[in-house]
Amino acid sequence: MLMPSFIRDRREALVAEVARKRVLVVDDASLVRLYYRDALERAGYMVDEALNGLEALEKLLLQPADLLIVDVNMPQMDGFTFLKVLRRQELPLAGTPALVTSTECGPQDILAARRAGANFYLVKPLTQDILVEYAALLCGAAA
Amino acid sequence: MPLIRRTPDGVQPDRPDAGEALATLTHGTRQKRWAAARALSDAPDAAEALGRALSSEDDPHVREAILTSLLRLRSAASIQAILPHLRSDNASLRTGALDALRAMPDVAGPHLPELLRDADPDVRLLACDLARSLRVADATHLLYGLLEVEREANICAAALDVLAEIGGPEALPVLARCAERFHDHPFLAFSIKVVTERLSAQTPRHRG
Repeated sequence: MLMPSFIRDRREALVAEVARKRVLVVDDASLVRLYYRDALERAGYMVDEALNGLEALEKLLLQPADLLIVDVNMPQMDGFTFLKVLRRQELPLAGTPALVTSTECGPQDILAARRAGANFYLVKPLTQDILVEYAALLCGAAA
Repeated sequence: MPLIRRTPDGVQPDRPDAGEALATLTHGTRQKRWAAARALSDAPDAAEALGRALSSEDDPHVREAILTSLLRLRSAASIQAILPHLRSDNASLRTGALDALRAMPDVAGPHLPELLRDADPDVRLLACDLARSLRVADATHLLYGLLEVEREANICAAALDVLAEIGGPEALPVLARCAERFHDHPFLAFSIKVVTERLSAQTPRHRG
């Protein structure tokens, strides 16, 4: 079945808008990284990956990102420690928007994320549509 | 050249004896608490005190020193001192405890079955990550067993992530049953498809 032209035009416009946006996915779970990459690349983003906060900091110092998608429980450096360290860096690096995605769903977890410097918090598991919607929102692209 | 770990303040304090270290572990300055934690790395009876100190310690450098000492003690007592911290609300402490357990698979391994059956779903989820590091022969079968009964999608996802690395073709029927139970979870459906494809492509020669 052919896609109606107005939907195709809208999708193409959105892909063009995010085409140069780079997202760094920070998560130790390979399947999560693959799932996020699949959704984000189909939406037009460039995607890079880091396995923990330490690796993410190293990558960001070499190449900035437009959005961070950050897990909480990771080896070597957890997501909250990573965000706290990041927010102490100089601008514009310190201001990189961060979406925290975690299995932890208590109010204390959301508060801890906010205190660490998260811009938004979503509880796993996510659908790919929700992920892309919040990525667009935090990147400043039209959702 | 040996790696010389610096104190949080960059000054190497005198090494206290075990008695003095136990006294300052929770009450001294940040630097003294750090030195005390380090000094107890060769005091087997100090595991319990180190575990208690972890509960109240706010400084990440001191916490790291405590976990390192528990790691060096590498005993059943040090495992008992670390395990409760998997339940911590503090992400840094929780992941530090998990990292320490991962680093001593020989003594942490026997606790895997009970951790995978824990009433707290957060502990079961972390236990899946522990299985990744242990790579004991039983780890895959424990994860297969978990996938048959686990009701939390996130825990199944964590088990799948590990099985993608250490599982074998014998997991395929388990994955199929898991897919049926979680047919309405897009992430699990995606993950099961990926892992199924990987494990289906395996031959016994490919397994490490």
